[in-house]
Amino acid sequence: MDPKMDSGFLLPNETLEDSYNVLAPILPEEVIGIMDQLLCYEMAWHTGYPLSQTLFTSVYIDKLLWPEPKTVEEAQFYRGDLPAGRRPGVLLEVLRAYCLALVKCCDFVIAKITGRDYFEEEDFCTHTYNRVLFVQVPLDVFLRELDAAVERMEDTDLEMSSSLRKAIISRLDFRRDFLRALDLDCPLEHLSNYWPPILSNLTSIFTTQQLGKTVPGSFSTKIQRRLASTVPPRPIVELEFKDAFEKLKQLCIDCEEATRFTSLEPDPLEYQSFLLVFASRAPTPLPYSRSYLATLLFHPQILNATSSLPLTDVRTLVLPCSTILSPANWSFSPPRNPLLPKPPRLQLALLVDEFIERTGQPYLDFWTALGQNTCRLRRMLTHVIGGWDQLQTDASIVDADLMRVVTEMGMRDEVMDSPLTVWVYQKKLWMIEKCVLLGFEQDIYLPDEYGGMYHFLSLISGRRKVVLEAISAHFVTRARQLQHADQLPEAADVEDGAQHIASLISEADGVSSLGAALASFYTVLLYLKVLPRPARPFSSQELRFELRMKPFLALQPPEVPPFKDWLDKVQPYGPYELPSPSFLADVQNADSQLWSNMDANIKRAKEAFSAVMKIGATNAKCGGVKEAWARDVKGVLASCVALGIAVAGVRSRVARSGGGIKMEVEMGVQGLGIGIEIPLMGTAKRYAEGWVVAKVVKG
Amino acid sequence: MDNTEASVYLSQFIGKNLRIHTTDDRVFGGQMKCTDKDRNIILALTYEYRAPPADVIREAVEASGNPSVPVTWNSRYVGLVVVPGPHVKKIEFEDSGRSGVVL
Repeated sequence: MDPKMDSGFLLPNETLEDSYNVLAPILPEEVIGIMDQLLCYEMAWHTGYPLSQTLFTSVYIDKLLWPEPKTVEEAQFYRGDLPAGRRPGVLLEVLRAYCLALVKCCDFVIAKITGRDYFEEEDFCTHTYNRVLFVQVPLDVFLRELDAAVERMEDTDLEMSSSLRKAIISRLDFRRDFLRALDLDCPLEHLSNYWPPILSNLTSIFTTQQLGKTVPGSFSTKIQRRLASTVPPRPIVELEFKDAFEKLKQLCIDCEEATRFTSLEPDPLEYQSFLLVFASRAPTPLPYSRSYLATLLFHPQILNATSSLPLTDVRTLVLPCSTILSPANWSFSPPRNPLLPKPPRLQLALLVDEFIERTGQPYLDFWTALGQNTCRLRRMLTHVIGGWDQLQTDASIVDADLMRVVTEMGMRDEVMDSPLTVWVYQKKLWMIEKCVLLGFEQDIYLPDEYGGMYHFLSLISGRRKVVLEAISAHFVTRARQLQHADQLPEAADVEDGAQHIASLISEADGVSSLGAALASFYTVLLYLKVLPRPARPFSSQELRFELRMKPFLALQPPEVPPFKDWLDKVQPYGPYELPSPSFLADVQNADSQLWSNMDANIKRAKEAFSAVMKIGATNAKCGGVKEAWARDVKGVLASCVALGIAVAGVRSRVARSGGGIKMEVEMGVQGLGIGIEIPLMGTAKRYAEGWVVAKVVKG
Repeated sequence: MDNTEASVYLSQFIGKNLRIHTTDDRVFGGQMKCTDKDRNIILALTYEYRAPPADVIREAVEASGNPSVPVTWNSRYVGLVVVPGPHVKKIEFEDSGRSGVVL
């Protein structure tokens, strides 16, 4: 018989069941030990392990949940009646209350996570192995049990040292607060009150942890035989208390941060920046925290705000104070006679409605992706971009109709060309940029690909900048028109809105310039043969290019440059092994176009990001995450400075080396004294995670 | 019994409930799905039964004073399983009318 194939296989003298007696009296130290152990397993579950290898290994929890109790009263460590003398003591009753509340916590967590988009067994395991985690029992029952337990502990007849008593009570208090915070029906307005008390209670649990005494016998892998019959028991997941405690703290802090979402300006762009900042929090928020935020985002109170989110988005970006979006349009009724033409304003309303409805799914997909962790966000974005590409085609059809109606109404000059298409296109380009930047953030690309990918990034953001400039021009015209028409408040609104566009333009300009500078910097490094280049006997540059561009190849209009053009840009001097002689001349001449272009781009990027900083968080629609936003912009500025230093370092070394460079370039000999250090992800050595700036060191 | 006869004989048990005793003293009760020349048997919707450990039985006997006191066997659902031929000790056919027929 094979123990790996047969879950019922027992070694000689091994028993199927455990002999641990759950009714045996326990010491207060042991109660603390068990509670803390349970907390460790709870957090291990939160990080993605199944219940069977974590909480469900507890004999106490098993006895509570199986055989399935019909009522909470029945959920005891025993079933049926016991003679009065054998009933569990006070401490066991306290432990029972704690376990019941813990189980209900799990129930809440599962409900919250399964209520939103998550990936079973990748993010989280929701399997409960046919155990019902008191789904039907309301919260207050558990609160009552906990309160009763606290009362029992406070009873002076109970002999126990006061530190132990306090330690147990603080654990019960924590469980009560935690359970309350996890409740699914917390009203939005009071959300922020739930997390701070937990955080304040946590320290006392941490400091009293050493009072506890572990009871290894009360946890067993054997229970798994009854949970999942087809797999033999797997080892218990051991998470150290210190680490579990950190996870718990992080969970509470992240959730507290998420509650700030409810106080944001009701603006989709603010939501977007909040979600992005939340996803890139370090360490990465646990699945529960992400679901918590996503639940807030998709809360009916937020989603069904007065005007629809995509509509607000469109208005902010392309149709400021426009007749097309005037609320009055929606008050017209169609003519009684269906043969008569509809009033033009009603036609506008219908067209906008049609477009907004069409936007719904891609828009929702985009938000869903934003609610994931950054790794999945990057992968999901590649699909979302496809959806938006389709949307762009449809938008152009609606745009044509809109233009026709607007021309009929004689206000063609009040509306920019194809506003909806422009809106979709701008968003799509932003997503492509984000996708590439996230790739850098997550070390998807190898150092010898940096040049090519930064070049692509620079290309895309350059395109976005052109689109944004057209929008900006429209804002200027529109403001002037409104001023002429003496609609001064509206004109002021448009001018305010133009600030946001200005911020976007500067940002796109900065990304494009810094991308271009980095691309040529890494290209030079490749020619100098100081970047590691792995041997790739079975691939070609063209295939690798195709692979990296795969998510963007099908887009219309095409965003990916033809391979030949791209190659000309990343290999301007021919193959890296054998550069043309002009490379030597250029690289050794500190005043050559090669270096001056790089410097100019860095300077331009610095100016652009400084401008973004100056225009401010509120205008960047990042008002809700001001601090994180400022940190990010400063990080990018620091990256510009670091790149300037790195470029100067390489240039001066190459200039100093004189003839040695010829050897280096032509034969690949290392001897110039240029060494390169690539800061890896997560080492906190990058100023901004998406901008990898190599450091020049003595080689 | 020639090949055809044997096949006909075995085919009548397909879809019927069998109880298989194994060398480690477990009993598997489930619906027979198929078998092969090595006596490997596939059972569906199977429950695994196991006698309680010796000391539990001893305790029960001591507590009641009756040497043939009934004890409940542990059972658990294991679903679709293959019982390897070499480990099969005894096969019983559960007929709805009678309590069990040893094959």
